[in-house]
Amino acid sequence: MSRAAVLSVESLVKTYPAKGKAPAVEAVRDLSFEVRAGEFFGLLGPNGAGKSTTLGCITTLVRPTSGRIFVDGVDVARSPMEARRRIAVVPQNRNLDRDLSVREVLTYHGRYFGLPAAEREARADRLLTELQIADKASAKPLTLSGGQQQRVMIARALMHDPKVLLLDEPTTGLDPQARRLLWQTLGGLHKGGLTLILTTHYMEEADRLCQRLAIIDHGKILTIDTPAALKKQLPGGQILDVWARAETPLAPRLEGITGVMRLERVESHGDGEDVERLRLFVDPADGLLDRVLHAVRDAGADLHHVSLMAPSLEDVYIHLTGKELRE
Amino acid sequence: MTAFLALLRRDLQVASRNALPILMGTLTQPIMVVLVFGNILPRLHLVADEFRTVMVPGLMSITMLMAGVQGVLMPLVTDLAGTREVEERILAPISILGVAIQKVVAGAIHAGVAGLIALPAMMLLMHRVTGVAVHPRWVMLFPFVALSGLLSAAFGMTVGTQVQPRFSGLLFAVILGPMMLFGCAYYPWSGLQVMGLFQYVFLLNPLVFMSESMRLAVTPDVPHMPTPLLLGGLGVFTALFTVLGARSFEKRTIL
Repeated sequence: MSRAAVLSVESLVKTYPAKGKAPAVEAVRDLSFEVRAGEFFGLLGPNGAGKSTTLGCITTLVRPTSGRIFVDGVDVARSPMEARRRIAVVPQNRNLDRDLSVREVLTYHGRYFGLPAAEREARADRLLTELQIADKASAKPLTLSGGQQQRVMIARALMHDPKVLLLDEPTTGLDPQARRLLWQTLGGLHKGGLTLILTTHYMEEADRLCQRLAIIDHGKILTIDTPAALKKQLPGGQILDVWARAETPLAPRLEGITGVMRLERVESHGDGEDVERLRLFVDPADGLLDRVLHAVRDAGADLHHVSLMAPSLEDVYIHLTGKELRE
Repeated sequence: MTAFLALLRRDLQVASRNALPILMGTLTQPIMVVLVFGNILPRLHLVADEFRTVMVPGLMSITMLMAGVQGVLMPLVTDLAGTREVEERILAPISILGVAIQKVVAGAIHAGVAGLIALPAMMLLMHRVTGVAVHPRWVMLFPFVALSGLLSAAFGMTVGTQVQPRFSGLLFAVILGPMMLFGCAYYPWSGLQVMGLFQYVFLLNPLVFMSESMRLAVTPDVPHMPTPLLLGGLGVFTALFTVLGARSFEKRTIL
């Protein structure tokens, strides 16, 4: 483990054993990465990619099949209780103690971690204010909106002053306003020096918040870098989407055009099965668009859609996996 | 240990706030049974007068079993299948075994208190009825209530970690109902001699040991199981269910 790393995951493998008729599931296959202290790190990937399992292994809720995880130098498998003092989790499902008030949720969490009375009371007050839930202090969690519950879970997580905060798809199911407020909150925590690890399948979220990203699919890391560097990985620098219906396949005609660095077929489902959807990674200089459109016309194709855009993380993902994010 | 005590404190605080519904859930059944079997049926000469004395310790044990079900089993079923509030406990600095034992201890306190409230309530209801021989031997009562409470809670954990929510309705019909009817709550185990070797089949039911221990502590005039067998049964079942319950709790919480 390098000196600056606060979390290090080494060759993590998790296979859920076969259960009855259900076959064994290889959720995580040989995953390694490190997160530096103070970093905002993201695990990006579709549902079922292995993000939550990875998070589960880090938080001691999932027992790895093999591999090692260190949090702040503590071996998670060997000393789970020590590890739990250093991490905090905001889980995907809202699991606030519904029998307690919001304030008690925080103070009891402090008790579980052995905080002295004065400290836990003061910290609960501070966090309630910081996370803008002070007016809900005596309310029961279930009476709160999804966004408010999310903030209570963050406050609860921060009660024991963790080194690393892990958030499992925190904005799933939130309305756009609540999502933005949460992004602000997380940004603020990061500025305050906390190490954050976030799983998400929202590209915009990953792009906006994370300093470095691991793109995961089928339990493996496809790539790991800063969002900007990931986008630069794309050949050409721009993306040209061409959807057309043609007698003969269009792809071979477009592939050879100068300025087209690479061509991918995008899988599509549902309507327009006979429409060919092509994604061209292009260098748009010197009349490239003209050349492409000429080629389409020469083929006698019926052009349905054409768009030129700067690449997004989603494009990086599609480039890496050859498919859209699965829901 | 800090986390263990904090979790226990949380459970007791929440329980004390919900005292009224918990009390109602606990006391309704024994009070109704006392009214019907202790009052109406004897007046109609449909049951023998002695039955009143025999059923008091049995109803105490049923009350404790139901408290274990209410306090541990049902909450676990919904928690494990849906709310997952339990994850916060597991993420506290305490071992899984510690969390499991804490749940059993909290459930045992719940069950013990329920039993100890049911007893005077029943005595109060029957204090004018002649021929009821309920004479609690308090020194014996407390340890047996504690053991019975632990057994109820451990049983609740074992079953609660195994049952899927969609089958929880079946639980009463298939498991708890037969347990209560064949748990020597309404008849002493020694009386089952008339059934020959079948008497010993009843020993597979943990409630039998709870009922008989209450019989020993509360109605000394009614014959009860030999004390070593009693203690052995309570001990073995408590240990068995604690181990099974903790194991399956771990399986359900750590994947």
